[in-house]
Amino acid sequence: MATSNTPALQLRGIEKHYGFVKALAGVDFEVHSGEVVALVGDNGAGKSTLLKVMSGAHPATHGTILIGGVEVTFANPREAADAGVQMVYQDLALVEGADIASNLTLGREPVRRGPLGWLGMLDKKAMRREAEREIRALGVSTAPVTRPVEMLSGGQRQVVALARSAVRVGDRENGVLLLDEPTAALGYAQTQQVGNLIRNMAERGIAVVVVTHNLPLCFEVADRINVMNRGRKVADVARTETDNDAVVGWITGARPPQEHLLAGT
Amino acid sequence: MADASTQPGAPAPSAGAPGAPVDAGGSRNVRALVFLRDRGIIILWLVLVAFFAVWAQPYFFTLTNAALVANAAALAGIFAAAVAFGILSGALDLSIPGTSAVAGVVAGLALAADKPVWLAILAAMLTGAAVGYVNGWLVQRGLNALVVTIAMLTALGGVANLLSDGVAITGLTQLTWLGNGDLWGVPSMVIAVGLLFLVSIFWLNQFRSGSRLQAVGSNIEAVRRVGLLADRYRILGFVLSGICGALGGIAVLATTSQASPSPSVDLLFAAITAVALSGMPLTGGRGSLAKVLVGTLIIATINSALIIKGIQPYWTTVITGLLLVGALAFDKVMTSAVTARLTASAVVPDGTDESKQA
Repeated sequence: MATSNTPALQLRGIEKHYGFVKALAGVDFEVHSGEVVALVGDNGAGKSTLLKVMSGAHPATHGTILIGGVEVTFANPREAADAGVQMVYQDLALVEGADIASNLTLGREPVRRGPLGWLGMLDKKAMRREAEREIRALGVSTAPVTRPVEMLSGGQRQVVALARSAVRVGDRENGVLLLDEPTAALGYAQTQQVGNLIRNMAERGIAVVVVTHNLPLCFEVADRINVMNRGRKVADVARTETDNDAVVGWITGARPPQEHLLAGT
Repeated sequence: MADASTQPGAPAPSAGAPGAPVDAGGSRNVRALVFLRDRGIIILWLVLVAFFAVWAQPYFFTLTNAALVANAAALAGIFAAAVAFGILSGALDLSIPGTSAVAGVVAGLALAADKPVWLAILAAMLTGAAVGYVNGWLVQRGLNALVVTIAMLTALGGVANLLSDGVAITGLTQLTWLGNGDLWGVPSMVIAVGLLFLVSIFWLNQFRSGSRLQAVGSNIEAVRRVGLLADRYRILGFVLSGICGALGGIAVLATTSQASPSPSVDLLFAAITAVALSGMPLTGGRGSLAKVLVGTLIIATINSALIIKGIQPYWTTVITGLLLVGALAFDKVMTSAVTARLTASAVVPDGTDESKQA
């Protein structure tokens, strides 16, 4: 993956305390545009907390966040979204009764031209066109965009949720997509489809961070794998330079942390 | 919007609706099922009308009786619209009879003081909007919607009685043209309610705010996450519900020439029944106002036929209850049948073959 030198999203020395509990103890992290970084670790290792810090859901206790090399602070997910960081939650938060097109364009619905548009009259044709274009651009096919979400399968819903966030990241510079367990509820074929989708989004230049328990998925889609253990990052390796056993070793703690990550802690 | 499928002019939005670019193969079944699910209530009504036309002839299937049925349905329809606006935005508003009583009394006081009719109606609508706003504001602060609106119902019943000194304000004939008049044989009330529904349906399906209101009812978190101020749409739902409740108060005043301060919970339950009959899930976010109107028509139709046949009116409520359970079961069976066929079918319509990828 061609990556620029300045990371799209960079975290430095992130600490997160919940009362006396240190959920994150000085974590550095970076993801470049067009790169997929998988974040793995056991339950309670801190990967979800780290994701929440990136998404603005939980502000860090200490540490800095940089977007395209510029320092930012996120008070809430909305500020993160405005900065181009979109999170796809595990509960996809789709509008069940509405069709795919409405879900994809929610909050940025195209309106008609002229006075009726000023009143907010929808341009349904443009809505459908836009939704179809987005789905096609992601290189996946799903049900027709006029189908209500309540009639979709789990995999199709995941695609819609991913597409909705991808639309919002769009072509902006340093756009980042955060995915929390995108395949947790999916079968094999659907996981494949979501995997393809993640690769396609990276190829469009989006920086993608995936939190997952699914190691095969990890090795399929990730450029780099970061392993968390007890609030620390214990490994940061290119996918091609590691294997399943090594990653499992880091996750369980059977394998010692990488040397360069021990420095300074 | 699932609801758009029953609106004429809306461009075939729901799956399987005629004209939608759906399901190339093996889909005729799905299409038929979706059609039945979406149009079932209309078919039911037509069947009822056909049956009663024979069973209760010669009085049932006449223009005079049609006007009577339409008039009864219109009055119930306003309250059903009030309930539906609440539900579409995600809350069952039980304060409607209270709103309607207070708004009716406010209008009644204005009319009794010889204020112009438009001012009385405006005052009533503003009262309804204010009640709705307070409801919405409280619910948005995390209080349970059912309890808040029940409390509001109780409080408003008191307020209405305080305003009117506990007695009905009588002799209000200024609105008779609306309550008992007609235009070329069509009752004015039917025309007014028809307009109310047309405008509401158009707004819900074709306008951004209408579609977001329903999105909030379906999944408020989804709306929040795309960066919209979801709570505003919640409050808007209560305000619209309050305004419709107030219009209901005006309609009752127009029909009876008096403003009674006691809230009519019967009207509320009839309205909820019509809404439920229309297949609109009380959990919110989808459904069709047009079908709600058909729901009120069904109840009015049954009522009318039983009256004509001289059958005890209690049978109406028995039959309505049975129909309600039947409609609910029908909707559930149809929805799961459609969903099962759509998600289990190997061929996803535009060519992806999920099962082959496995």
